[in-house]
Amino acid sequence: MGKEIIVGEELADSAAYRRLEASIQEPESEEMRAWKDAGGKVIGCLYNNIPEELIVAAGLTPYRIRAVGSTGAELADSRFSQINCSLVRHLYDSAKRGRFDFIDGLVAANDCDHMRKLYENWKATIDEPYFYFLGFPKKHGEPQAARLATMLGDFKKSLEGSFGVEVTDEKLRAAIDLLNEIRQLQRELRDMCTSDDPPISGAQMLTVAIAGDSMPKKVYRDLLRQLVIDVRCMGDATRPRARLVIYGGEIDSPELLVAIESQGALVVADSLGGFGSRNCACDVSTTGDLLFDLAHWLVVDRPHEPRTFNTAPERYAYVDGICKEYGADGVVQVHVSMCDLWSYDRLNFDRHAGMRNIPCLDLDIEYVLSGEGQLKTRVQAFVETITDKER
Amino acid sequence: MKRGLERWYRYKEVFSGALSAEEAKGEQANPVQLAFLKIVVDHVDRIIGCVESGKPLASIWYGNAPEIFAALGIDWYCPVDMVLASQAFTSDLAEVHTSSTPDDSCGLIQLAAQAVEKGYVPTPNSIIAMLEPCDAQTSVHDAWLSVDAWSDIPTFALDYPYGSTQGDFKYFADELGRMIAFLEDLYGVKMDWDRLREVCETSNQMYAAWSDLNDLLCAVPCPLPPMISAELGWNVTQHLLPPGSPDAINLFNLLSAGARQAVEAGIGAVPHEQVRILWADLDGTWAASMLAPWLAEKYGAVIVQTFQGHTPYLPIDTSSPESMLLGVGRRSISEVPMIRQARGSVGVFIEDIKSMVNDYTIDMVFFPGHKGHKDQSANIGFLRETCHDIEVPLFAFTCDLFDPTWVPIDQLKRSIDEFFETQEIRPLG
Repeated sequence: MGKEIIVGEELADSAAYRRLEASIQEPESEEMRAWKDAGGKVIGCLYNNIPEELIVAAGLTPYRIRAVGSTGAELADSRFSQINCSLVRHLYDSAKRGRFDFIDGLVAANDCDHMRKLYENWKATIDEPYFYFLGFPKKHGEPQAARLATMLGDFKKSLEGSFGVEVTDEKLRAAIDLLNEIRQLQRELRDMCTSDDPPISGAQMLTVAIAGDSMPKKVYRDLLRQLVIDVRCMGDATRPRARLVIYGGEIDSPELLVAIESQGALVVADSLGGFGSRNCACDVSTTGDLLFDLAHWLVVDRPHEPRTFNTAPERYAYVDGICKEYGADGVVQVHVSMCDLWSYDRLNFDRHAGMRNIPCLDLDIEYVLSGEGQLKTRVQAFVETITDKER
Repeated sequence: MKRGLERWYRYKEVFSGALSAEEAKGEQANPVQLAFLKIVVDHVDRIIGCVESGKPLASIWYGNAPEIFAALGIDWYCPVDMVLASQAFTSDLAEVHTSSTPDDSCGLIQLAAQAVEKGYVPTPNSIIAMLEPCDAQTSVHDAWLSVDAWSDIPTFALDYPYGSTQGDFKYFADELGRMIAFLEDLYGVKMDWDRLREVCETSNQMYAAWSDLNDLLCAVPCPLPPMISAELGWNVTQHLLPPGSPDAINLFNLLSAGARQAVEAGIGAVPHEQVRILWADLDGTWAASMLAPWLAEKYGAVIVQTFQGHTPYLPIDTSSPESMLLGVGRRSISEVPMIRQARGSVGVFIEDIKSMVNDYTIDMVFFPGHKGHKDQSANIGFLRETCHDIEVPLFAFTCDLFDPTWVPIDQLKRSIDEFFETQEIRPLG
């Protein structure tokens, strides 16, 4: 019998993983600096509804704004109140401190009330060479896809005019293909976690996903290709005490998952937004008008979030499906305080989980992880409850 | 008894009692109070009648183009309105405090979620969802649809555009067209465009009458008691009556007649008016009854106008079906309060503050920082800059407009005392 391998331990030997991990430690990664040094431009994205394909097709690199390393949000006090979520407060504070000075523009969408106001306050108080806002529909139907396609056409024209480029169909198709390949590789990696002995932890999986928005897409795609090969070659890891699915909006740091997994549980899958499985669950079609196909993917095809009206049955079916596919023992729901969309979803999902006897732990979190001891205690108790039941 | 009706029969009892008591005063009765209570009782009766007889009844919100329902002959109600109106004689708030509804969200939304879950509202046979002005507004429908009694009700949502371009208005007009098709299909009715024209024309008259009343509030001193135009106007135009109802126009004319006399005589409703306040949000459930009278009595401070009472309503062009849908749509997405100030960018919010300060000769702005209005709370920087530019003091605080216990009123009053002191405004002697 060989040496016991803790989940994810072997991954540290992968050079590809080490590079991906290093890329998310600061707002600006080494890869992004190299891109800038070569004359490339970077577009900051708020948040997970930005059509990155159009930005890539314009020869630019999308960068998801993350306040990594933020320790306070004092500079947000004059623009936000205590009922605004900690996520936007930290993002604004970091922006005011110049931590995103490497971006050449900012694009936002009306993801939520906090986020759209972050954009407005940013635009009013911080100089950026380029600003653009996309008003996303809150329904998911064909009229909404058509409407969004028109808006994407306007966005395309704006990029072309502001950056002196032409976004041809050929370029857009190539960008969609590139991002589709990234989604396929991410799915391949995630699929490996359906096994009894997953080779990669939830925190590592999130790290890999976050890195995808911290560097140029082609660099990321190449690293991801290598990573998939590396993981395939790894041996079986120790079987976790409990297999969990994490469900919620956006988590842009692996710290929370590290804390959860320190209690003997493994986050085998997620239903999270831009850095989670919902973003790579399916590909953008390229069979029709490309702008319409992209719009359709954004508002119809992707698994939905609570901001999209009357999608709870599909959202919960998606979580149920993941739980089944990955053999999960329970679900951890995360909710950032003051987020109305996810606070009601938590209430509704609790009902849903209760009816299906799905063990569910609700965690209220802040953008910067705090109260770690209490959090670990709750996770530990939850894991024990699950494992006791199974015994 | 059908689900939800027990509570509504109680409303009938309470408001009918209040109406009888007012009527019993004979010549001393307040004609405005009489007219308004009659409107409330009729509304409760109408909804009870619909439920008892199984007639079409849609659950809608104020921004869901009620003109269209009136033209189609479909009755409607907003599930939370009577819950809010009855806050003083129910235990709903206390129940919310011990419920699982998220306490970091708007009290109105919490009450709405609870009301449906516990059966405090009748069950409609269609739901028209409103996806503005806030995130929780979308979410509350999910909460409703997770309740067994409501889970199978046919539902349609109006998608409000973020922007205000011609393309945005056209998109929303198309959404209204899709809603009409949904209602026609569900209830077997057919839109009569001539009937919609009539409704829109009387609706135009109704909003004009309200606007005329507001013009009188510009006078110094203010001829009507604090917030009364906003309180009554919002309820009769948006919630209790079909658009353009003669009862609504009559109510505005009654109020205007009294206000006009006071203006001509130079008499203010609040004696010794010394401060005129703009309340930059909805009125909520307690400001008019628990705060405004104290402000008036202690400081001669009058809440002259609120976002709820603001009347930016333009006449709907009734020349064609297309123009009517565009006009009704414009009213829904950029004129009715809250959606007007919260949807889209901060520009309208700021322009409304500036124009209302100017029009009503406002001395200071009160910004309630309602916990449900996450968007408007993040306007605070813009608001401070604006008030600084137009040289009007700003009193910004945090509260729940629909729950007077979230920030206790006494605590709020102490903060106001301190603020007034900094502004060298003394209590009346």
